[in-house]
Amino acid sequence: MLEVKNVSKYYGQGHTRVTALDNISLALHDGEYVAIMGPSGSGKSTLVNIIGGLDSLSSGEVHLDGKRIDNRDENSLVDLRRGEIAYIFQQYHLLPSLTAIENVMLPLTFAGTRADQSTALKMLEEVGLEKRGHHRPAQLSGGEQQRVAIARALVGKPRLILADEPTGNMDRKTGAQIMALFDLLNKEGHTIITVTHDPAVAELARRLIILEDGKITEDCQTAAACS
Amino acid sequence: MKLFQVVLKDISSRKKRLFYAALGVAVGTMTIIGILTVADAGQQRIYDQLDKYGPNILVTPAITSLDMQMGNMNLGTVAVGDNYIEESKLPAIKKTGNDILAPLNAHSSSDLVTLAPKLYVNTEINSTKIVAVGIDSRYEMSVKLWWEVSRGSYIFNPHDALVGSMVSELLGINPGDAINLNGTGFTVSGILASTGSDDDYRVFVPLGTLQQAFDKEGLISSVDVRGCCTTCPIEEVADGINSAVPGIRAVAIKQVAASEMGMMEKVSSTMLSLSGITLAVGLFGVANTMLASVNERLKDIGIMRAVGASRRQIVKIFTYEALAIGILGGLLGYVAGNLLAFALGPFIFEGIEIAFIPVYLPLSVGIATLISVIATGYPAFRATKFKVADSFRSL
Repeated sequence: MLEVKNVSKYYGQGHTRVTALDNISLALHDGEYVAIMGPSGSGKSTLVNIIGGLDSLSSGEVHLDGKRIDNRDENSLVDLRRGEIAYIFQQYHLLPSLTAIENVMLPLTFAGTRADQSTALKMLEEVGLEKRGHHRPAQLSGGEQQRVAIARALVGKPRLILADEPTGNMDRKTGAQIMALFDLLNKEGHTIITVTHDPAVAELARRLIILEDGKITEDCQTAAACS
Repeated sequence: MKLFQVVLKDISSRKKRLFYAALGVAVGTMTIIGILTVADAGQQRIYDQLDKYGPNILVTPAITSLDMQMGNMNLGTVAVGDNYIEESKLPAIKKTGNDILAPLNAHSSSDLVTLAPKLYVNTEINSTKIVAVGIDSRYEMSVKLWWEVSRGSYIFNPHDALVGSMVSELLGINPGDAINLNGTGFTVSGILASTGSDDDYRVFVPLGTLQQAFDKEGLISSVDVRGCCTTCPIEEVADGINSAVPGIRAVAIKQVAASEMGMMEKVSSTMLSLSGITLAVGLFGVANTMLASVNERLKDIGIMRAVGASRRQIVKIFTYEALAIGILGGLLGYVAGNLLAFALGPFIFEGIEIAFIPVYLPLSVGIATLISVIATGYPAFRATKFKVADSFRSL
């Protein structure tokens, strides 16, 4: 499904150049649940951003279903974001002026498809937040906001979900609830790549990739198999 | 949920910023609307003055004076043509004027030209030579708006007479006195207030009565013609009358106030140029506010793009916001412009009456919206140029 070939990413130029990703290659199949771990600054978020077209790469290629996507223009990247790929961020990134329902409806609004409240409510129901639909982000807890963000990601029925430290701002209990939700989504057929610092989160994934200094140091089928 | 609803929600959460941006545009439109409103009132005042300057066209008999010369010897001049206009030509004069002005006055079905015929005769009152003028009392006041009856009343009966101020003073004539013109008796109904013109030395009586008294039935000396509009093509009407009615000469009277109008237009255009500069300043103000808004909302823009907003949709969002700023700024500018006109107008043109001009409301909103949309162009374009990841990283 997804193939990352010799991807490198640099910031800055000359002697101030910083290497964020150094010749990374990996392949993912449909329905995989991958956790990416590594210390801060190892390039985890950069890798996920590049896979999702949120950031550009310095060299290498990214293919989705055999088609190269890293060289696409902004308009065709928009198409990817409207159906193929969805993002879940550590900071939730909800629009503060909109209610939970309206935030969930947002991708449908941009895609030009029928964006009614019942669709959004159904998504909120799936994440157990149907009773908080008319609340604004400021009126929701961190866990609730993340669940709204997950509902927003799911509303476009994406095949690939990219999550950047989705439980990073949560207590262990709330984080466990969110990860249980991820597990459920994976079982429903969504391919998931999640960036995490938390070994407990990584343990739930079916595959674990360890990044250090922009390089893949380990790629294990289970967390236990990784050192 | 539609895109504009997203914008409305966003705007409602940032009312203050929207209001400040709208104020920037409002300052520009305020000056334009203020100047236009004052200029309009000033023009109206000049039109009113124009009305007081008298008739637009003077119709006289087509008399031609020929110089008679034999070699180097001048034998004097000979007048060729009639000294009077036949009264029967009045309908033709009126019809010609109406026909020319009708297309310019689609909403008016009444007569568009007023004719004030006159018959001048030299006569005597108590052995003092005076000029008696036969007038159509229904229309004379319409062409001589500056006339005022200082004592007594205007002409209402066939044997009433209105006496000029100097005639009254010199001959000691007062309202109620009886005067005799060529054997026909008249009662002085009123005395005209001094006009500073020849009218002060004249006696005005009803046209028909004077014609009978001097055996000049059906004859008049001249006709004052007034178009009902202040910007009528008077030359065109005069030419039309000359072509259509033989034996007369219609002359358009160039109004002194026309030059005053020219001055007014020059002053207005200068003031409008200055307000254009103010508007340009407003444009930069809005651009600045919108740029700040883009920077402030970089994260929101990133979120929207991450969940599927296209660049065009981001531009649309800023355009909708610009429309809201423009509409609000235009409304504020219209109200403030009128207040400015009410406050400063009387200092600029003494005696003018400022009035709300509803047609300037859409103009104000239109200008403000245009400025706002133009000012938003670059910030909106800039908003689409960020990489989504940069939008989050810059926080």
